[in-house]
Amino acid sequence: MQIYLPIAEVSVNIFLILGMGGGIGFLSGLFGVGGGFLMTPLLIFIGIPPAVAVGTEANQIVASSISGVLAHFKRGNVDIRMGVMLLIGGVIGSTFGVWLFTFLKTLGQIDLVIKLSYVIFLGVIGSLMFIESLNSMRASKKAGPPKRKGHNILHGLPFKMRFRRSKLYISAVLPLAVGVVVGILSAIMGVGGGFVMVPAMIYLLGMPTAVVVGTSLFQIIFVTANVTVLQAVNNYAVDVVLALLLLIGGVIGAQFGARAGAKLKGEQLRVLLAMMVLGVCIKIALDLTLTPDDLYALGTTGGH
Amino acid sequence: MSGILRFISLLSLGAILFATPPALAKGLEVDLSKPDVRLDVSFEGADLLLFGATDHEGDIIVVVRGPAKDTSIRLKERVAGIWVSTDEVIFEGAPSFYALASSKPIDDLLAMEVLLQQKIGTKNLGLVAKSAPDDATEDTLKNFKDGLVRNMVAKNLYTGEPGQIDLVGKQLFRTDLWFPANVHVGEYVIDTYLITNGRIATHNSTQLSVHKVGLEAEIYNFAHEHALLYGLLAILIAVVSGWTANAVFKKRG
Repeated sequence: MQIYLPIAEVSVNIFLILGMGGGIGFLSGLFGVGGGFLMTPLLIFIGIPPAVAVGTEANQIVASSISGVLAHFKRGNVDIRMGVMLLIGGVIGSTFGVWLFTFLKTLGQIDLVIKLSYVIFLGVIGSLMFIESLNSMRASKKAGPPKRKGHNILHGLPFKMRFRRSKLYISAVLPLAVGVVVGILSAIMGVGGGFVMVPAMIYLLGMPTAVVVGTSLFQIIFVTANVTVLQAVNNYAVDVVLALLLLIGGVIGAQFGARAGAKLKGEQLRVLLAMMVLGVCIKIALDLTLTPDDLYALGTTGGH
Repeated sequence: MSGILRFISLLSLGAILFATPPALAKGLEVDLSKPDVRLDVSFEGADLLLFGATDHEGDIIVVVRGPAKDTSIRLKERVAGIWVSTDEVIFEGAPSFYALASSKPIDDLLAMEVLLQQKIGTKNLGLVAKSAPDDATEDTLKNFKDGLVRNMVAKNLYTGEPGQIDLVGKQLFRTDLWFPANVHVGEYVIDTYLITNGRIATHNSTQLSVHKVGLEAEIYNFAHEHALLYGLLAILIAVVSGWTANAVFKKRG
């Protein structure tokens, strides 16, 4: 059954979109990430204009993050204070990111920047996560908790703040900076930034893993909401019909994913996620380096 | 159904035209099976039947043009192992849609200069570069033009192989026009040419409106006219569905 999308201006199969939402939702429930980094390239692949894919995906992540954060709130796994600091950075970053997106679009380099960002971030994070989780799989056989990291240069920064839930006393500059970087990525790549945010919070800020996912989701809601409004105003690039279809599939998929996730160990989940992240990274890297079918491509001037 | 009825009425019209003395008036009547193309929720592309009658024998060429748009085309080059968009040419007012149908190959029907003048055929669009790299030669521009046509053909917005026009008897003709699901909205112009002895004997121009209707039109217009409100509503929808999803989650345990 086909449906014509009013903003994307293409006709798509309803069941394909529902299925994609369901599949990504399953993974998102399984791994606790938004799944935007998988969905946006997939949407572009099936013929949705890149700008619309980015804007619409941001809108969908708002919904899936709200659904997720409510569950974490009940368990007390959201550090609001930390979330607000990340958020301030996130709003600054995403506002600048949408501006950058519009600017790069006029330069005709937006596709390249989107793809390069994907390759770099997915590559780095995928590899780090892969190595780390393999190590901890080996270490967990010997048991013993991971040793607490010592003080480093990051602890010498000014404006120290106490984050009670995260059991941290660190400079406010750190979460602000993480927020800005994730905000920019969120606007350019159409992702919630969970796959950047979560490792940054664990390894850079040293937050306890239990609090990380809830807090990350908390601030992602606001960053992606900001991206949605800005994309709607600047690029008319949010397709509510597409977002709604993705949502329905995503919500159902996430339920099954969360159940499947409960049966797997943390390290096993991380290895699987790392492999998936690297897979997407390799696919996009090939697109950039293999000779395209046609060396001439339509630019964006003729678009709506 | 109305299309068939019209076709029958045109048959009688053709008969009347035929009955009248072969005067100097070079009659060429054209009509479509539908007055417009409506983009609604279930739009998957549209088939239109174009039919017409002439008052004397000849060949027919039909050209459909979508609204003109400045169109950018970019060349990709390998820089440090990565394919990067480099040179850009913007062609002024390139048709956003171009379909051609003829009863014989157009090169057999008209001389090259006439084809160029009337912009008949994707090779003869007469595209003019509005902006181009400083060192661009005629050959470079031609490559960009060909690139544009190739891309548009790949998107089914330009016809690669011209469509067929069926001549019914000596004075009636018909052809199928296909508008794919990715057509742009706007006013389309359908030019029909009657060709006799290598010359354009008569020319008829018909308008066709391609527009969104119903929910599609409302969402599109709302998104463009009240962009901020639209963005906020999109978030509201997301908040409500996220909340609902969580509520359902809880019940299921």
